[in-house]
Amino acid sequence: MIVTYNWLKEFVDCDLPAAELSHLLTMLGLEVERMEELGGGMDDVVVAQVLEKNQHPNADKLSLCKVDNGKEILNVVCGAQNFKAGDKVALAQIGATLPGDFKIKRSKIRGEESCGMLCSEKELALSLESAGIMILPEAFKLGTPLFDALGTKDTVFEIGLTPNRADCLSVVGIAREIAAKLGKKVHYPGLEVAETGAPIDTIAKVTIEAPELCPRYTARHITGCTLAPSPAWLANRLQAAGIRSINNVVDVTNYVLLEYGHPLHAFDFTLVAGGKIVVAAAGEGEKFVTLDGQERILTASDLTIRDGEKGVALAGIMGGGNSEIGEGTTEVLLESAYFNPSAIRKTSKRLGIHTESSHRFERGTDVAGLTRALNRAAQLIAELSGGKIAKGIIDVYLHPVEPRVIKARLARINAVSGLSLSAAEVQDILERLEFEVKQPEPGVFQVRVPLFRVDLEREIDLVEEVVRLNGFEKVPATLPQASVFSDLPSDFQRLAARVKDLLVSQGLSEVINYSFVAPASCEKILLSADDVRSNGMVLLNPISDELSVMRTTMLPGLLDTAVKNISFRTLNLRIFEMRRIYLPAPGKELPEEPLYVSALLTGSRDLEGWNQKKGEIDFFDVKGIAENILADLSIPNVSFSAESLDPYYHPGKACRILCGNKVLGSLGELHPTVQENYGIGTPLYYLELNFEALLASRKGKGAAQVPSRFPSTFRDIAMLLPKELPVADVLYCVKGVKAPELEGVEVFDVYTGGNISAAEKSVAIRVRYGSKERTLTDDEVTRLHQRVTDALTKKLNVSFR
Amino acid sequence: MKDKLEALLDQALSELAQASTEEGVQELRVKYLGKKGELTSVMKGLGAFTPEERPVIGQVVNTVKGKLEEAFEVRGGEIREVVKSARLSAERIDVTLPGRRRSLGSKHPITLVTEEITSIFGALGFAVAEGPEIELDFYNFEALNLPKDHPARDMQDTFYFGESVLLRTHTSPVQIRTMLKQPPPVRIIAPGTVYRCDSDATHSPMFHQVEGLMVDKGITFGDLKGILTLFISQLFGSDIGVRLRPSFFPFTEPSAEVDIACVICRGKGCRVCKETGWLEILGAGMVDPEVYRHVGYDSELYTGFAFGMGIERIAMLKYGIADMRLLFENDLRFLKQF
Repeated sequence: MIVTYNWLKEFVDCDLPAAELSHLLTMLGLEVERMEELGGGMDDVVVAQVLEKNQHPNADKLSLCKVDNGKEILNVVCGAQNFKAGDKVALAQIGATLPGDFKIKRSKIRGEESCGMLCSEKELALSLESAGIMILPEAFKLGTPLFDALGTKDTVFEIGLTPNRADCLSVVGIAREIAAKLGKKVHYPGLEVAETGAPIDTIAKVTIEAPELCPRYTARHITGCTLAPSPAWLANRLQAAGIRSINNVVDVTNYVLLEYGHPLHAFDFTLVAGGKIVVAAAGEGEKFVTLDGQERILTASDLTIRDGEKGVALAGIMGGGNSEIGEGTTEVLLESAYFNPSAIRKTSKRLGIHTESSHRFERGTDVAGLTRALNRAAQLIAELSGGKIAKGIIDVYLHPVEPRVIKARLARINAVSGLSLSAAEVQDILERLEFEVKQPEPGVFQVRVPLFRVDLEREIDLVEEVVRLNGFEKVPATLPQASVFSDLPSDFQRLAARVKDLLVSQGLSEVINYSFVAPASCEKILLSADDVRSNGMVLLNPISDELSVMRTTMLPGLLDTAVKNISFRTLNLRIFEMRRIYLPAPGKELPEEPLYVSALLTGSRDLEGWNQKKGEIDFFDVKGIAENILADLSIPNVSFSAESLDPYYHPGKACRILCGNKVLGSLGELHPTVQENYGIGTPLYYLELNFEALLASRKGKGAAQVPSRFPSTFRDIAMLLPKELPVADVLYCVKGVKAPELEGVEVFDVYTGGNISAAEKSVAIRVRYGSKERTLTDDEVTRLHQRVTDALTKKLNVSFR
Repeated sequence: MKDKLEALLDQALSELAQASTEEGVQELRVKYLGKKGELTSVMKGLGAFTPEERPVIGQVVNTVKGKLEEAFEVRGGEIREVVKSARLSAERIDVTLPGRRRSLGSKHPITLVTEEITSIFGALGFAVAEGPEIELDFYNFEALNLPKDHPARDMQDTFYFGESVLLRTHTSPVQIRTMLKQPPPVRIIAPGTVYRCDSDATHSPMFHQVEGLMVDKGITFGDLKGILTLFISQLFGSDIGVRLRPSFFPFTEPSAEVDIACVICRGKGCRVCKETGWLEILGAGMVDPEVYRHVGYDSELYTGFAFGMGIERIAMLKYGIADMRLLFENDLRFLKQF
């Protein structure tokens, strides 16, 4: 909603500086989003008097004038003829900038010096056309800036209104708020309509066939109108509000719409067949051309204004081309009606027409204010177009609406707000808002709310009004006296943050991809069409096809991110994402949304530098990352299985991660075809873990272990194994030797080729022995080690080297 | 004899002064103090003296021996020092060459801000709650007093999967889910991902919010003001100005927008704050009785407040990011800064 300060001042006495008024409005909940000075920067256009007007010696059509600006006498060359010596005129002095960024400079015109320009209204953007320069009233003081003298200096406020404040979609509405805050009264202008025409019932007749959609319809008739451009004051105010000036009839309807917030419609009455207005639903499939020239197809739920033969307007939204005010219009029927908000909203939404009118009807207009707006408009039209207003008014109001009466308790107001207002203070605040307030018992208010406040229905609405008008800044900032209870962050939050920290500490950076992906992404990662993940949830109204399906796996997003970064020549990538995936759950209302932590790595293992060893990331890097997470979260019985892999993995370089029989996730090198599909040149390594499955598999860490105070002893074993035998079996076998002194075992070398036969591999392990009571003797260690080697020989039939 | 010994000492000392290596010192030590050394042979000759002379001579011998040993020790030390310092200077490296670094990862700025907000409210006793992102119309709109055809639904462009299944447009449905699950008192915050079909320099179709809800007996609008003021001073510093101004949300009443003094111009007015000196950072209000009706709470007995803020906006202000799209481009050159 755009209003100007001068317009507001017609309704409320307010002399605050514009910036203060802006703050006041914002703090009332009418947020000023833009403030602009009109006529600002035009102080160099001043009132001046023509002392002499002489013929220009070198040009027939120009005159050479001596002009007094109150300080000095200047020579000015002028091309207009509509003035004489002694007239007061608008002088743009040297240095002034006129609208259109037109700068006034000292110049010579046909050999004569000109120190400024005498301006027309058009040049000052005060009107659209002008016949000559502006002649100012005799009373204007020389040297005064013109806009000060005219009183047209103004400030525009653009207010971002919340959808509940339909009442503030007008100058009067905003003036009402200012008056309430400042403790003043709004001046509602007296509206005396000079009814000089014939009685209206002899001219027009209105019937409402759909009273539930249009409970009230009022109209006036004006004849003998002469269409003309609107005067500058009217055109300027419309322009400030962003509305184009059309003619003196249409402009008045828009002006009154802005002033009172009530949309009006003017029909060319000679085009209304039979002088009849019928408010009725459209016929199903009816075609109707709105005045923007578009043909609309209506349904039976659309409300129309009709005459004896046809539709003439789409009620509350837009008039029809067939009854539009235009050249030759002399007879006007002016409509001021109330239409049902949700009906207007439905039609306007379905047809995609949003107008100043529909915007207000949708939010709810003041059913009691129809005639005031109607009278104001009729008066202005008659005044500006020379028309005669018919005697009387048509007012079809089948079921008059009574203002709501709402009960509000003082105790409740203070309890919700934290204020300590007295009954008198509350009564004062409510009365300033033009509410009728009674106190049937102490501390209880009965509040009769005017019909323009469509947003107020309940006690809490009045609580808000009181706190709002009293000022949010007056509410004391307190801390709640709440019951003592406190929840520490759950394991879920804490451990999710922990997992992110673990990944960051291993050199991975977090990314966040959109949750929606392209439909082709599952195919690109080789998921078959019948895979549940190929059937993600599809958005009905996506931003684009590329963002139309909810992801069922984290992989495509990470791959897209990799492609993007590689294109920026970031070739060594270690990225992770911890987000949800969305798996349709047949038979349930909503899908499942498990939280996944996924990582993608490619390129070189270490940072590239002059002294860093160069190594490419491989399977074991990504497996190490997974093992660190699993160990940190104390997941027991972890195993890695090369069976039943997802199709996006390299079949020989990937595994699933299990806890007992439960799948926690998977990791490995991506299939070369996936790599090709994304056009990435280096092998990609991927890890995905279902975070909820991880959490469910945790075992408590138990009491902290005290390390032994005695040194451990290491013994190495080098052995030859069948190439296919998993090293995990060797480790499992060693750990199977139940001895408390066996502290640990690790693989320190794996070797194939060379002098090892093709069917075998050489594996070296280091076993650690120790005791918490003493340092083990060489004999003790040898005996323990013998048990380990015996187990390996017996269970796995390895040969030692 | 005594003269002979002193001559021997002088000779040894002058030879020692000539020695320049540890080996040279060692050779001289053998020459004078070794088993066949010159001093040793003098001592062997002690037997030729009378018992009266022996102690006198012996004392001279011991003095000379002591002086010699000390001199060898000192000279040896000097030579070792010279050698060590020569080695150290030969080992000098170019310390301006870059160090050997492990690659470090980084958390996304959205995560950092979410964790910071969560921890501030955690300290104020707020527990973390979550809810689904794919949500039912009931939780996202209906129960939040946004019935179908309500004009306020226009404020939020919604992604739909069907008639009643949608991507949540705010984290507020978590309020409803939490209140339906537990009786008052409630004190939660709900960080999460939300969606609106809007995409330009200041809007992303996916973004993040943190929702807060506190319901108990005797909670006031003043408490909301107090909690939020405390929160903002923790997040942006205690000297930052805060103001609440009236606004409208269908699920709160009274409703407020919360502004902070512009962190760029400190309230003087600049392009970021559109010359107002204030930046809107969150929406808040007292829970509307209509919401309590949907979750079966007694609005006469309990009052409470709710608030919601956009994480992207806070991250942009904290880190001076002008274009929201940077947060979702996943360019590691950008992300590695955090």
